[in-house]
Amino acid sequence: MYHISKILAIALIVFLTGCSIGGEKKIKIFSIEKPRENLNYPMPTALELEQIKWIIITSENAQEVFAKLEAAGIDPVLFGLTDKDFQILAKNFAQIRQKLQETTNLLEEYKKYYETDDENSN
Amino acid sequence: MFGQLRMIITLIMIMGIAGAGMYVFKLRADNATLKANQFKLETAITEQNKVLEQQKADFEAILESNKKLNTLIQTFKKDLDDLDKRFTKKNRDVGKLAIDRTKAVEKVINKGAKNAARCLELASGAEHTEDELKATKKSEINPECPALANPSYVPY
Repeated sequence: MYHISKILAIALIVFLTGCSIGGEKKIKIFSIEKPRENLNYPMPTALELEQIKWIIITSENAQEVFAKLEAAGIDPVLFGLTDKDFQILAKNFAQIRQKLQETTNLLEEYKKYYETDDENSN
Repeated sequence: MFGQLRMIITLIMIMGIAGAGMYVFKLRADNATLKANQFKLETAITEQNKVLEQQKADFEAILESNKKLNTLIQTFKKDLDDLDKRFTKKNRDVGKLAIDRTKAVEKVINKGAKNAARCLELASGAEHTEDELKATKKSEINPECPALANPSYVPY
């Protein structure tokens, strides 16, 4: 009888406290954020171009042009282009300029997109 | 026999009270945990909303940037066409013009070269001068790259 009451007591304890085993679990939220360092390169220095002088030479003024060059102490030699090649050169330069502008613009847009928020928060 | 029964009943009562007490403590602990969970969930929702807002803002920034670059490319096309027209307008032959009016064409070409060089400087990121930014007339604007020389210039 004594054993039965012991068993009963233990069973009762287990019965009453059973619900407390494996109660509500706590949520753990991990947020680990390590942003990449900014490159922070300064924008490339702008070009400072030197001026060149175009001289138009025709069959009529050739002698006069060379005489002027010699008088100014410049070697009487000219590197020539035909009118068509001059047009091509002008268009090529325009395309180079546009590509340069496009690249500079892209760089600025990337910088603005990826670095503006960081600069504001700093 | 009666004494034993009383002891068992007493024991059951004590155990019952102890169990009930423990159960109450457990409920309190559960309640605290649930409150903490609720708070964390609400925080998570707020953060998610912030992320969504950021994504929306990013998307708008990307659209804006694309629009800007497309406009720029359209301007490039127009500038190239304008340059081509200047050489070929009204069946113009630059070669013949240069023979007929050598000095005048030389002057125009040198001025054009100077303007084109300035356009290259601006394209590489050079600062605009006050005159460039104030230019509103055709005679004032750099004709090689009007949109670049003064972004607020309206062609007419």
